[in-house]
Amino acid sequence: MNVIDVLRYAFSAIKLRKLRAALTTLGVIIGIMAIVALLAISQGLQTTISDQLNQGLSANSLIVIPSIDDSDNEGGGFGVSFGGVDSSGFRLYVNQTSEVESLSPNITSALAIIQRSGRIVSESENLNRSITIYGVDYATYSQTYSSFEAEYGTVPFNPRNDTIVVGSRVSDPRSNGTQFVFPGDDVALLWLNATVLPPVYENYTARVSGVLGTVGGFSIGVGPSDTGVYIPLSTAQSFFDTDSCDMMIVTLTNSDNATITEVSDLIKDYYGGQVAVISPEAIQSVLTSVFSTIQLFLVGIAAISLLVAGISIMNIMIVSLIERTREIGILKALGMKSRTVLMIFLAESVIIGLMGAIMGILGGWGLANVTAMVLASGILGGGGNFTITPMLSPTVVFGALIFGVGVSVIFALYPAWRASKLKPVDALRHE
Amino acid sequence: MSTIVEAIDLRKTYMLGKIPVEALRGINLKVDSGDFISILGPSGSGKSTLLNLIGALDKPTSGTLRVGGVNVGRLNDNRLSEVRLKIGFVFQFFNLIPRLTAKANVELAMSISNMSVAERSRRAAGLLNVVGLKDRMHHKPAELSGGQQQRVAIARALANKPKFLLLDEPTGNVDSKTALEVMSLIHKLNKENGVSIIMVTHDQKLAREARRTVHMVDGEIESDMVN
Repeated sequence: MNVIDVLRYAFSAIKLRKLRAALTTLGVIIGIMAIVALLAISQGLQTTISDQLNQGLSANSLIVIPSIDDSDNEGGGFGVSFGGVDSSGFRLYVNQTSEVESLSPNITSALAIIQRSGRIVSESENLNRSITIYGVDYATYSQTYSSFEAEYGTVPFNPRNDTIVVGSRVSDPRSNGTQFVFPGDDVALLWLNATVLPPVYENYTARVSGVLGTVGGFSIGVGPSDTGVYIPLSTAQSFFDTDSCDMMIVTLTNSDNATITEVSDLIKDYYGGQVAVISPEAIQSVLTSVFSTIQLFLVGIAAISLLVAGISIMNIMIVSLIERTREIGILKALGMKSRTVLMIFLAESVIIGLMGAIMGILGGWGLANVTAMVLASGILGGGGNFTITPMLSPTVVFGALIFGVGVSVIFALYPAWRASKLKPVDALRHE
Repeated sequence: MSTIVEAIDLRKTYMLGKIPVEALRGINLKVDSGDFISILGPSGSGKSTLLNLIGALDKPTSGTLRVGGVNVGRLNDNRLSEVRLKIGFVFQFFNLIPRLTAKANVELAMSISNMSVAERSRRAAGLLNVVGLKDRMHHKPAELSGGQQQRVAIARALANKPKFLLLDEPTGNVDSKTALEVMSLIHKLNKENGVSIIMVTHDQKLAREARRTVHMVDGEIESDMVN
């Protein structure tokens, strides 16, 4: 009996019990749908986050921060010592940038960033917001990050001491087009100096030179941020009364792995291993591995429903086998081989698995899009600005097909085997 | 004339719970090609067991059974199905597949032997014509009378050009008028088409219509005579 005949025969058997087949298929649909929807959403989310991170990171730049551990640290200090002062007393100094630049011909520039929490106040504009103040060299910073560009006003390469550039949401906190700050406005900048007792608010009056365009994404304190206020590096040094900086951004001539490794090692050696050098790729790979774990976990949970579907397939097949014992006897009496009987039963499970997988993939894709729409609409809170574009990779589609059909077939193996092993003489006697 | 079935000291013992039941106790039988024999006996005489063995549906406990020259007692499951393919079995309860039409039932048997689709269709129509069901070939078994179903079963049994037909009480489940029709069809197949017939029955009158009658009692052949 050839494959087409086997499939046709299996299909005629399924058609006879439509409701039962539909319910069995539904089990597979739900399982596959859950897996596909979860993967589509989480992969969409991963892409959203990694895109937003990329906006704040430049591929050919390295982040240098003090390491929290004095022993050789491979970037473990990331995040913890961000913007803070290392307990060991080790610091990066602003005047080290030129020496760092001269470490390798592959280094284009080294940029020091001083970062403090502060407030921006303008009585005339009724503005009083907490912000992050960044002291940067405007020229180098705009070369490193193309998003450091004014939408209103200008970003001067040779700023006056009182010049500031503000992020879009500093000027337009509600993102509704109502601008609080315009180029030429005078505002007061404040920060709480806790190095003296009692702590005092230091302040100075600054003049807004430019308002940045919306950058979006998550601010991790490296690239331009919508809630950042940028002041010249020298002003920051005197305002915050410090020679040290919180991080250095080292821009490279290229983003080859070899260059990144070479320069990273040179910088670590220069600082005697007391710094962590983080490449954007390293951050991306951490993100990817975190998401892989989350996805594995989600798919694992969803797979349980598919397991339940598999058991129901097995159950139905055993019932079907008992009902069709006589039919199997007839087929065998007509000369059908045991192997063919096995194939017929497996073909039924393949048909159910395939239909379930296809409908499950379509349903899962639909569910993912509905979920994304619900998230974007803000019905569940979150301001409605959280956009995820669900993603369905060919791997997921292919995997879901294989998984759906695979589970059906595996759970049909035992009933199919039992059917094939029936003795014709006994099967024919079955009422 | 060649021998199509040959049994030598054929025995079959069943286990009924823990009690062995000797269904066949040393059967010696030879059937030649073109023959028409009926196996007659009361229920429990072992005639159906013998038929199942000849039909390769079951294996003998001991003794030799050659079907078409092949010793079926030594064959594995797979080879037994190949033997079955060349035997036309007709059952008392028709055993048609209910969801398939008469034609599809006949074609199913041919699909098992990998006959081409076109050949199947042509041959199934031809066979149903021979058994007089040309007009009913697209009906499902439930839409056919008992006699018509039995004729579909006979057409199906002939599907793969079998060496012989095995009939198990072919008229046991139809009325007497239909029984006559079925019997005349069997006679016709034997005489005109040269199909060998082995028929099991407990009806003396029917048995006498065969060329040869084998009488079985308690798992043994009591008499074997030409009518």
